[in-house]
Amino acid sequence: MVEATSSLRARLLVAVSVVLAGFLGLTGLSLDRAFRDSSRAAVDERLLTQVYGLLAAAELDEDGGLRIPDVLPDPRFASVASGLYAEVRHGSNVSWRSSSALGVKLDVLSPDEPGTARYSELNVQGAGQLLAVSFAVLWERELGDPLLYEIRIAESRDAFEAQLSSFRRTLWAWLAGAAAVLLCTQLAVVHWGLTPLHRFAEEVRAIEHGERERIALPVPRELLPLAESLNGLVAQGSRHLERYRNALGNLAHSLKTPLAVLRGATELADDTPFRQTVAAQIRRMDETVSHQLQRAAASGGSLLAKPVAVAPIALGIRDALAKVYQQRQITWELNVEDNVMFRGDPSDLMEMLGNLGDNAGKWARSRVQIAARHDDGGFLRLVVSDDGPGIDPSTALHVLERGTRGDENVEGQGIGLAVVRELAEEVYGGQVRIERSAMGGGAVVLQLPV
Amino acid sequence: MRVLLIEDEAPLREQLLDRFRTEGWALDSAGDGEEGFYLGSDYPVDIAVVDLGLPKLSGVEVVRRWRQHGRTFPILILTARSRWQDKVEGLEAGADDYLVKPFHTEELLARIRALVRRAGGWASAELRCGPICLDPGKKRVTRSDEVVELTAYEYRVLEYLMLRAGHVVSKTELSEHVYSEDMDRDSNVLEVLVARLRRKLDPERTLNPIETQRGQGYRLALDRNSS
Repeated sequence: MVEATSSLRARLLVAVSVVLAGFLGLTGLSLDRAFRDSSRAAVDERLLTQVYGLLAAAELDEDGGLRIPDVLPDPRFASVASGLYAEVRHGSNVSWRSSSALGVKLDVLSPDEPGTARYSELNVQGAGQLLAVSFAVLWERELGDPLLYEIRIAESRDAFEAQLSSFRRTLWAWLAGAAAVLLCTQLAVVHWGLTPLHRFAEEVRAIEHGERERIALPVPRELLPLAESLNGLVAQGSRHLERYRNALGNLAHSLKTPLAVLRGATELADDTPFRQTVAAQIRRMDETVSHQLQRAAASGGSLLAKPVAVAPIALGIRDALAKVYQQRQITWELNVEDNVMFRGDPSDLMEMLGNLGDNAGKWARSRVQIAARHDDGGFLRLVVSDDGPGIDPSTALHVLERGTRGDENVEGQGIGLAVVRELAEEVYGGQVRIERSAMGGGAVVLQLPV
Repeated sequence: MRVLLIEDEAPLREQLLDRFRTEGWALDSAGDGEEGFYLGSDYPVDIAVVDLGLPKLSGVEVVRRWRQHGRTFPILILTARSRWQDKVEGLEAGADDYLVKPFHTEELLARIRALVRRAGGWASAELRCGPICLDPGKKRVTRSDEVVELTAYEYRVLEYLMLRAGHVVSKTELSEHVYSEDMDRDSNVLEVLVARLRRKLDPERTLNPIETQRGQGYRLALDRNSS
């Protein structure tokens, strides 16, 4: 079992979302900062303009000093709590205070020298947060020394804040919209980008189900090495099985030919206990070798197995058996539809059908039937039946066990059925049952998963 | 009858040839596929016994080539590979029967006799023509249930004529199927053998079992009783 890590799609999306969020967040912050700074600068500019406005409106008093007229260009100076406040100081005395600044004390630091402005923020009881400027001016007189005045003007921060928050709302709404659009685009891009991977996975699944033998679709360059190694692996797998079978075949050949010589030699000898012992042991060796080789040569599972049509294989077996049993005048009936499929190795199917057919041929009086169909439960149902004496139910199980012969006199009886049982049950996970056929003889039923 | 054995394992080959010889069969043998193929193509064998695992040319290939060249004699394959795929492949290539090693020699002999009989159009194990009955398994000949004592060569001649009962068999054909390759063939000897057979099978000269077709050969003229 392969352990699954987070999906590629999830990884890409997480990475992209983080980058997107970071990027948009920083963009928003810097825009916010820039706007705030420039708004603040505009406010300061405005305050300074008010200072110049006041100075422009100022009149001379009898000492040649500075006097602010009652009526000023900006009406906000005249109404209480208008949000715009001003006062003029001379030394430590407040020489003038706007009507709006009733009860509002603009307690800010003075500029360092005349002709310069100093900006500050302050919180005043009753007027709230204010932005203020203080401007020192050296007032030249015709008579006497110039007088040093300090003009302080403050404006409520509310307008500034309102502007700022309106800007922020707009900004973040747009950024959120952009983020949503970008995320959707990203989803589409990831999907599109991963499509070849999905196709690749489909292709591999097709190979696994045996619908295809190799990856033949064009794959992206990045997947090419993977596709090639996979094709190599699949090819190697089948080559491996082929080699393995050949090796087993050669082993069989090299073991069985000496056994044949031995058996021939014992048959020439006199009938002594020695000869009988040797003959019995040869038979045992033969059975063991046959059995183990058959077992080992079974493909061992249906992974990477293609579904194969049963009909042509059954036909091959039928023809072969009809030839071998020609002398017996047996009618070999075949009842297999073209669309009946077996999932597994063709030679294993051949092995099962061959052994069952051979067995039926030995027992049949005149008819053998090989039938195959898919049953309602999705299984492949293979039935080989004959019109012979049938198999006694009490020995039926016994017959299926390895090397036990239903009839000692018929050559190879037990091994064949045992091989069928092992293939069907242990290799392919199916079932074998011995029943009575409609023709009156035995019927061996194989139920194999498809 | 003439048997061709192709088997690369020398001990098994010798063992089988010895056994075949005691059956009184004319023999050809080869240890590899190529030589075996040429023997089967060039000589009038009645049956070939072919091991599937042969050097140079595989047994299946030998069988396939014979069939492609129109050789129709029965072929029995011997195989150490007991998987059905190999058996089916051999049978599809044109073989008529198979035997898995290690086999019982008697089983092999029985299969050979059965295939030859079948090729001659005989269905039963015994060959019966009129009152004459030949049992290839026991190598026994009876006439009206009385045993007729024959020498080995007389038996061989009669067996071949009976296998081909109803057909004309030339002297050349008869000698080819009765004598092994290395034997000195003399048609006079055949004539003597046939004359002796006629005397033994038909002492009263009422049956005339073996006709002489002038210029062509012999024919076993009695009707087949079973088939």
